[in-house]
Amino acid sequence: MAVWLTVPASWIGRAVLYLIHAVQTAQSRRRARFESRAVRGITLLREWLSPQQRQQLECFNHFEVIGCDSGKSYRIQHGVCQNVLELDGDGRPRMGWCFIPEGNLVPGDVMLAQKIALETDERGALAVAKQFLVPPLPHVVAAT
Amino acid sequence: MATQIVMDHTGDTRHHFDAKDLKALAEAERRFKALTGNGFTAATRQASGDVSIARSFDPNAEETVFYPRLVGG
Repeated sequence: MAVWLTVPASWIGRAVLYLIHAVQTAQSRRRARFESRAVRGITLLREWLSPQQRQQLECFNHFEVIGCDSGKSYRIQHGVCQNVLELDGDGRPRMGWCFIPEGNLVPGDVMLAQKIALETDERGALAVAKQFLVPPLPHVVAAT
Repeated sequence: MATQIVMDHTGDTRHHFDAKDLKALAEAERRFKALTGNGFTAATRQASGDVSIARSFDPNAEETVFYPRLVGG
């Protein structure tokens, strides 16, 4: 009776260990695939940035573009959502714009699409974008 | 060697082709039309770094990037 119970128990234990190992391996592969895609996206973005924008990205993790229609400045931050900020004349964020390419793209690809859209078809990009409020900077609150 | 770069959920896919090869050029033009017909935007980059939208296939473009239709986030 005791022998009959221990054999299946060891099989179950091994099966559980095997399953845990398989899940961990799959997660690790998926993470590696995403990281590889993310690196390729950032590499492509860097290739298409102007030297000044590339420097801004390296130093601040964001870069600025000029809208082709209005001449306004926008800051594109690293990310895939709510990462485009319209700047005022002093370079402070005054309004947020959220627009992204369809599909599940990595941050580098999203940021490049946003840059191209603002530099070549600003009106078209903002027509589909959703606005969001940007919290005012502390010294602006104090001044008002 | 010219390159067409397509953004999609798998990352970016690069298609290299010789612009002097008529068969490869025709295939690149077919790809351009298929992608833009499906809502992708095509953009080309000049040597100066300036970016412009490509409304039609340019056989002389060195690098063209395609991104999917923009939507509000």
